[in-house]
Amino acid sequence: MTAGAVPAFEAVASPRARAHVLTNPKVVTGLVLLAMFALLMVADPLLDATLWSGRLHVYDPQFGFDATVAHPSAPSVAHWLGTSSLGRDVFSMLAYATRPTLVVALSAAVATAVISVLLGSVSAVRGGWLEGAVTHLSDAMVLLPALLVVYITGIWRPGTEFGAVQLGLTFGIVYGLGPATATVRTAAEEIVARPFMEAARVAGGGDWWLVSRHVLPHLYAHAAVQSMIAATGAVIADAFLGYRSAIGEYVGFGHMVYDGIVWSELMSGIAPIPWWIMLAGAGGIILLAAAFYLLGVGLREALDPRARSLLR
Amino acid sequence: MTARLPWFVGFLARRLVWAFITMLIFVGVLLAIMEVWVPYNWAVIHTRQPSDAAATAQTTGLDIPFPLRYAEYVVGLIQGDLGESFGGSSVSGIIIEALPVTLTVFLVGAVLGWVIGEVLGRIGSWNRSIVTRSGFSIVAVASAAMFPPFLVFVLVTTLREPMLASREVFGLPEDSLVLWRDAELGTRGALLPADVWWVLAWSLSAAVVGGLLARAIAQRRGHRLVAMLAMPAALTGVCAGIGLSGIGAHALDIMYRANVAVTTHRLDPTGTGLGAAVTIGRGSPAVAMIGVALLTFGSVMLLMRTSMDIQRTEEYVSTGRAKGLPEHVVRDHHAARNAIPPVLAGSLLTFPTVLAGMMIVEFEFQLQGLSSVLFSAVETQDIPLISGVLFALGLIGVGLRVVTDVVVATLDPRRRRTGPIPRLPA
Repeated sequence: MTAGAVPAFEAVASPRARAHVLTNPKVVTGLVLLAMFALLMVADPLLDATLWSGRLHVYDPQFGFDATVAHPSAPSVAHWLGTSSLGRDVFSMLAYATRPTLVVALSAAVATAVISVLLGSVSAVRGGWLEGAVTHLSDAMVLLPALLVVYITGIWRPGTEFGAVQLGLTFGIVYGLGPATATVRTAAEEIVARPFMEAARVAGGGDWWLVSRHVLPHLYAHAAVQSMIAATGAVIADAFLGYRSAIGEYVGFGHMVYDGIVWSELMSGIAPIPWWIMLAGAGGIILLAAAFYLLGVGLREALDPRARSLLR
Repeated sequence: MTARLPWFVGFLARRLVWAFITMLIFVGVLLAIMEVWVPYNWAVIHTRQPSDAAATAQTTGLDIPFPLRYAEYVVGLIQGDLGESFGGSSVSGIIIEALPVTLTVFLVGAVLGWVIGEVLGRIGSWNRSIVTRSGFSIVAVASAAMFPPFLVFVLVTTLREPMLASREVFGLPEDSLVLWRDAELGTRGALLPADVWWVLAWSLSAAVVGGLLARAIAQRRGHRLVAMLAMPAALTGVCAGIGLSGIGAHALDIMYRANVAVTTHRLDPTGTGLGAAVTIGRGSPAVAMIGVALLTFGSVMLLMRTSMDIQRTEEYVSTGRAKGLPEHVVRDHHAARNAIPPVLAGSLLTFPTVLAGMMIVEFEFQLQGLSSVLFSAVETQDIPLISGVLFALGLIGVGLRVVTDVVVATLDPRRRRTGPIPRLPA
């Protein structure tokens, strides 16, 4: 990392910073998108209980099949987003696939935040060999694409052994040790070099007190930005793993894209491309990834006083 | 007064030592992941001795303690040996064969994406209209959150017809690999695509380095005209040389060579038969480069715009305007130069994401590069080959990092003295 790449963020706790965060258009858009996915997640059991009750053999995301239409069928009143090539209702697949993807994103975000804050703050405050080791480790881990690590470690494991949580944690650990620690550590170093740290040390502060009282409040913003970027990557990695290992009954965003692409390649020139399946799957991936990315970028803008002054 | 070495000799030496240490750690992490985290049943597959775990461990060398295996791997690495794949061939041989395609697609695509992002970010920052700003943001976020296989599918379905039509315009045959096989340089025999690639790569980089050196010398001696013309002259010279030597037409064909349908196989662990062979890739490296550029430019654009926004408030911008400089001069010559270094540093951290996206794009296009080696190695659980490809990717990353550091230090003299971890001024 070259100096200057990491802006000096305000402490997130201050009410002024909070106001800036909540009025940033990117953050608001990201939150609205996330709320939409939350609604989708809630809608699935609700629809099962009301509109689709008694017809689960048609609307089941895994094993549903509508014998009255030819599949894949375009969006209609019965199937709001159409059906897949195996005859499953695309809307119920979309709603069903949201929950595991959110679990992936959250576990990646948590792992990234914990690792980067821990390593970044401790190495900056203690200095010495620990700092050198963390710096070199994060420099090396930056070179390892987390998506490929998830793919290589996950592709041969069954879903029971490598589920949403494991996938998210794997992504979060690799990303957290690499780019996230590199960023957070640089920010922590800059904070440690400020005069108030000297004053706190002179006042008799121990390491733990220094970290918790003076360093961590400044680092949470950086860690939040990084964990949102990690969540973006984890959503895409999860979809790619699903896309590559697409098999029968499993349901995920990546599987839907695969379903559409395979159908249009097999039926190339015979049947029209079933865009609705692919658009539902890819739309789920892109909008969910975009929600996390917007949150990350928006936080970065809102908490950097230099960038913010212009947006007024 | 003693003769002083140019600053970049010491700088480059320090960065190379750093790169070496980083690669040592990288290899350690890589081996740990590959041999401890992954080995699901690869040793069993490799030796076909499922019954006797101890014998399997002995045959594959897994009974040797990890530090010893690491040391062995590093010693082999220094000799340019990445071990032997389960197929029995040399890993480094396979990688050297596949590297040209990947490097071409990645470097051209990523540099293209970076330049597009930089220019758009620069323009976007100077445009104050809320509609334009939000439009730029939406495009950038869509690029950063894109699902690569979907992007490839859209590109292939929309660009297939125009690409095939343009082949006819250029009079290229359906199977353009024929061109490569028939390509002749002087009196030597047929060339492999990789040969042509290396000729191009070496002559182009020699021209760039020579041009930069000539410019630096001319600047020092005060010949401004020579300094200005050195780079264009070197590039024109090398392009003319390539064109006249007879490989020019075939160099162009890099753009078209993979426009052949290839059958791909998909993983089918459950044996349901649903992962049957499916023809997917019908693209060309040129479209793959466009795909990589589309995946890259978004994050660069957002970084550049924020960085430019910060520069806008600096006093030198007002000074430039007050002196009557045109707005585009203030933007491109004054503000952009100061805005670029943090963007370069920031985009280095997005490098793994870009590289992973590129591997997917390249694979979906069925180009015979590192991605096809990697994904087929994953399917056969060929651990040495997977480690070799990831090592090659790491090497590309370290190379890019060193080049970026040199570029940043050239743009900003303050960075020349600081080591790998520069401290901010208080």
